[in-house]
Amino acid sequence: MKGFYSLFKKDVRLMKSGKFFLMSLGFLILYTLYVNFGYIKFMDDQRYNVYLYDPEGVHRTILPLVSRVSSREELDAAILEDTRSVGIDASTGETQLILCEGAEKVDRHRIDYASASLQPSKEYQAEIVGFHTPEQKARKEITCELLFFEISAVGFLGIAAVLFREKGMGVIRIHAVLPVHKSLFLVSKLAIFLLSDLVFAVLLTIMNVGIGEGMSVLSSVLLQTALLSLLMALIGVICSLLLKDFRQFTLVYLLIAIFAATPVFLSANTAIKLDWISFHPFYHIYMGMKNAYFGTSTTAPVYYLGYLAAIAVLFIAAWCVFSREMRKEG
Amino acid sequence: MKGLGYQLKSVFHDKFCLMTFLLPIMVAAALSFAGKVDFSSLGEHHFGVVENDLPEQAVEWLEGYGMVTVYPARKELVDAVNEPSTNLIGVESEGKGIKTMVSGDELDLFRQTADTLPILYEQRNITPQVKIQILEYPDVLEGLKDMFIAVILIVAMFMGCTFNAMNMISEKEDGVALVNEILPMTRSQYIMQKLSVGFMCGGASSIITSCIVFRFSLLNAALMLVLIVVSSFTAALIGLFIGRAAGGLMTGVVYIKMVMLLFIAVPIISFLLGLSNPFIMTVCYLVPSQATFGGIMGLSSGSMAVAIKNSLILVVHCIAWFLLYLSISKRKKCVGS
Repeated sequence: MKGFYSLFKKDVRLMKSGKFFLMSLGFLILYTLYVNFGYIKFMDDQRYNVYLYDPEGVHRTILPLVSRVSSREELDAAILEDTRSVGIDASTGETQLILCEGAEKVDRHRIDYASASLQPSKEYQAEIVGFHTPEQKARKEITCELLFFEISAVGFLGIAAVLFREKGMGVIRIHAVLPVHKSLFLVSKLAIFLLSDLVFAVLLTIMNVGIGEGMSVLSSVLLQTALLSLLMALIGVICSLLLKDFRQFTLVYLLIAIFAATPVFLSANTAIKLDWISFHPFYHIYMGMKNAYFGTSTTAPVYYLGYLAAIAVLFIAAWCVFSREMRKEG
Repeated sequence: MKGLGYQLKSVFHDKFCLMTFLLPIMVAAALSFAGKVDFSSLGEHHFGVVENDLPEQAVEWLEGYGMVTVYPARKELVDAVNEPSTNLIGVESEGKGIKTMVSGDELDLFRQTADTLPILYEQRNITPQVKIQILEYPDVLEGLKDMFIAVILIVAMFMGCTFNAMNMISEKEDGVALVNEILPMTRSQYIMQKLSVGFMCGGASSIITSCIVFRFSLLNAALMLVLIVVSSFTAALIGLFIGRAAGGLMTGVVYIKMVMLLFIAVPIISFLLGLSNPFIMTVCYLVPSQATFGGIMGLSSGSMAVAIKNSLILVVHCIAWFLLYLSISKRKKCVGS
């Protein structure tokens, strides 16, 4: 236990000197500023606008959503500016609908929508079955993305940077003669990354989702964070022990970042559903995190068993690679 | 010639260079594969209904507006409506009409659609006496796809920059650069060898990439080839600058990233913002990739004049950078001796 404590202390010091904590803090501030002052502010507020040019006053009973314009030029300018909108020109006697070309079905809906807005009708409001406002949803979505990105990308890079440094300094060779169990080396590395990721997750969630909302989902978010952190740290250990230098590592990293993350983000955040995405392990991990944020955590034991099995296999692999490295060094 | 062989050999030993060579080709292949994915349904509305709830003709009516998914029970429908990544509108029957449900977290646009859908349904049989005029509007997605292709080609062409820079930096780190100093090789030979390595690799990478993403006529292909040749040459030159300026591998990577970012960001921003101010455009054209981008966009829209003009600008870039490099290395030599 004493051995573990000293190892842990050494790792903390190493990461401190590598400015790792400072970097995490910097990212935390950057993300928080981005969410609160960028993302939320620029959330696009799209709606269907109908512009009506009606100098004779043919249409009296129009919905409040229709805005009147005072000339044909103004009407044309409004349609070109706001390409989603529909213009109605009632000045020539015959009502004319003008719109910019879009997808066929959407155009049909816009035409019917604009014509209906000229008819008298009763007010109707759709039933609301969800629990989030658009802003809450946007906050949770972006926080989830950032946390996932931070742990899987930045954390992964961090552990590699630390390990390459230790490799270069010959620290791994020294471990072969130290009177501590070899697995403690791995455990102390994992523990420190796990702790820093958990602290990061707590701060990021509370600062960006809000205290009340954040606290209510925090426990399930932390569970997902812990699992992801262990997984990524182990992959990072294996990669950095197998690869020769940091330069090769950046390439592997690039490949992982592009080919693992892109389809996942595409599929999980837009209506594009790729058929093969369910075979992509990171898709399930990302969805686990996202569901935790939206309070619909999966309780499927298969998911957690698979996760734990993957972590166990990776741990054994990391241990083997580590022992091999020590033999080579010794 | 023999020296060039050695240079190529050392480049292909470096996995980093090999990967940067293959990366744009792989992305191009992925893009032409992704081109088959149908994005057109993305802007469409998406409705969900419960099985056997709505009359047949109501479902048909909904299909006229967007995609309809059938769920076995109301609970599944509510779950699907609440699923955060979609903007599904739930539709149920109510008496003779329909009622709708949304999750409350979607954009106004979808809420508005859901709020008015029952009214549209009521009035579906009234054909209003209106004339419809549809203005042609360029498809935004198509333009974005062209832009994407142009950017990948730029990345491919400017691979030569990475090659040269990496190559020179690792020579510096291994001490080969010092050995080179005493070898019986003139400075111009050295420059020519380094240039041709980056030039050949960048050119090959972009020729393969453009073969994957474009289907060209002969004349267009010839113009494209000219564009590729001049851009790769410019990129190789810039690689020499980076290789000279960077002290170590890490600073080199940082420099390459900065240059790459500048090269990609300038044309994208000027394209998306639709810049036309002549002064700002001139400033943008100081970055060589702006001319490459303009040339590719001109080719893909079929305008020869634009492509030729941009190729000429690139030729000017080549000459200017080459002269600059020569004068810098000459001065360094003078100072050194």
